Amino acid sequence: MNGIWSLGYITFKEGIKSRALFGILIMVLFMFAVTETLTDLFMRDIVKVAADLSLSTISFSGLLIVLFIGINLLSKDIDKKTIYMVISRPISREQYILGKLLGIAMLLIVCTLFLGILSSIPVYLSKLSYENPQSIFKWHIYFIAIAFIAMKLILLSSITVFFSSFTSTSFISLVLTIATYIIGSTSEVVKGLLEAKIEGVEISPAVAAVIKFVYYIFPNLSAFDLKIQAAHGLALPSGYILSTSLYWGFYIAIMAVAGALIMRRREFP
Amino acid sequence: MSAIETKSLTKVFKKDFSKKKIIALKSLSLKIEEGEVFGFLGPNGAGKSTTIKILLNLIRPTSGTVTIMGKNPSDKNVRKLVGYLPENPYFYDHLSAKELLWFGGKSCNMAAPAIRERTLQLLEELELIDAMKRPLRSYSKGMVQRAGLALALIHDPQILILDEPMSGLDPMGRIKVFNLILKLKEEGKTIFFSSHILHDIERLCDRAAILINGDLIRLIDVKNDLHQGETLESIFMDEVKRSGGLRE
Ligand SMILES: Nc1ncnc2c1ncn2[C@@H]1O[C@H](COP(=O)(O)OP(=O)(O)OP(=O)(O)O)[C@@H](O)[C@H]1O
Ligand SMILES: [Mg+2]
Repeated sequence: MNGIWSLGYITFKEGIKSRALFGILIMVLFMFAVTETLTDLFMRDIVKVAADLSLSTISFSGLLIVLFIGINLLSKDIDKKTIYMVISRPISREQYILGKLLGIAMLLIVCTLFLGILSSIPVYLSKLSYENPQSIFKWHIYFIAIAFIAMKLILLSSITVFFSSFTSTSFISLVLTIATYIIGSTSEVVKGLLEAKIEGVEISPAVAAVIKFVYYIFPNLSAFDLKIQAAHGLALPSGYILSTSLYWGFYIAIMAVAGALIMRRREFP
Repeated sequence: MSAIETKSLTKVFKKDFSKKKIIALKSLSLKIEEGEVFGFLGPNGAGKSTTIKILLNLIRPTSGTVTIMGKNPSDKNVRKLVGYLPENPYFYDHLSAKELLWFGGKSCNMAAPAIRERTLQLLEELELIDAMKRPLRSYSKGMVQRAGLALALIHDPQILILDEPMSGLDPMGRIKVFNLILKLKEEGKTIFFSSHILHDIERLCDRAAILINGDLIRLIDVKNDLHQGETLESIFMDEVKRSGGLRE
């Protein structure tokens, strides 16, 4: 346990002090300022717009953190041989994978929490200045949506950790992670189209099988996107939260086990 | 039980694209007893670091076996007994020496007060106290080397495996590290280290091995095998010449 925790902690420290994070933060502040001024242009339902824009900003900046800081934290270990200082301690390869994932997850949780609190300022201001009696915006759904963004980012990181267990350059991890993100964010829509059976459109069984395969292999990231629910204050069935959380935990566990199995065999010359 | 034992250790590196193979180690058998200080010498590319990486389970032998205190190095608990200094160590950029040592201690299940005490003692000894809160990125080469040595020693291991502990150090630093190794020797630690500084090996080691192109050429009992006028350096030069120079 100490092995995982100590590695998680120094990974988190290394990430939180990176300059890229500072750059991303500046960008987010700029986006929130834009949100604040933009919403002034809409006269109706601006809370909806503000919530939507803020959540998009958090999600996007979190993606940047995974791509530029998370991947860097993993690949630098191999590139610069910093992995020697870790696995020459009483830390097993399995613990290495879990420790790294823990560190990146802590980084993402801290960042999304911070951004979430920060983002509630433009949302709050827009709520204040244009109080709409029909507004159905609810804060708790807004914060559940933020928590789901953090979950989505951690899930994506677990896939990155898995990729890093066999790739040797950050570029390949980056490309694979971006591809996974794009596929994972759209596969549900594509599968939906497939099942909708639009008149006059013939889909060959082979293509349908491929789409189904992709849908089940890649993570369904759109399940974690609650922007619409947050913006419109739609109720979230607890069954949905529960099943999505289970899916989340299960997917991460599979990625961690697969990564650990590969890592165990790996050499670091 | 030997502290470190290798049996017919062979390591072949395969180049990715060409079929060319590099035989880095050829059937190396070594036995290092507890409390022994053992010097590992050989020209560049002899296979010293390769052997050491196998001892730490960073790479695996193509054939042959390794045990540390009778156990396989892939068992993580073995590494509680071992302190390792890699050659050209490199650590996380934004950590300070203090945080690095916290990690080293914590990963070995040390309690927080013990880590703190030992950290101060080691950093004092290695003259890093003034820099202990600065990020390691801002350290000079020799400072990084000394921080690495502190990390190897934080959990007070029985066995030290040091890959060129003197490299990158200034004359003062070298004397410091020399005295530190001497002190560890007096404490009864097993020390296995590679070095190109034959003079230091001669003064520190009980035994030394000369490795050339992956072959163990000679084992020397430093106290008894050196005859009059002979130095480790002269033996080394003779052996390198005899082996027909270097591979590359
Ligand atoms: N990752 C690798 N891939 C291919 N060959 C390698 C690899 N690592 C080491 N070698 C080869 O193995 C041989 C032994 O290398 P090693 O690093 O063990 O030498 P060394 O004795 O530590 O030398 P030095 O004194 O320069 O540190 C060399 O011929 C080297 O080219
Ligand atoms: Mg070497």
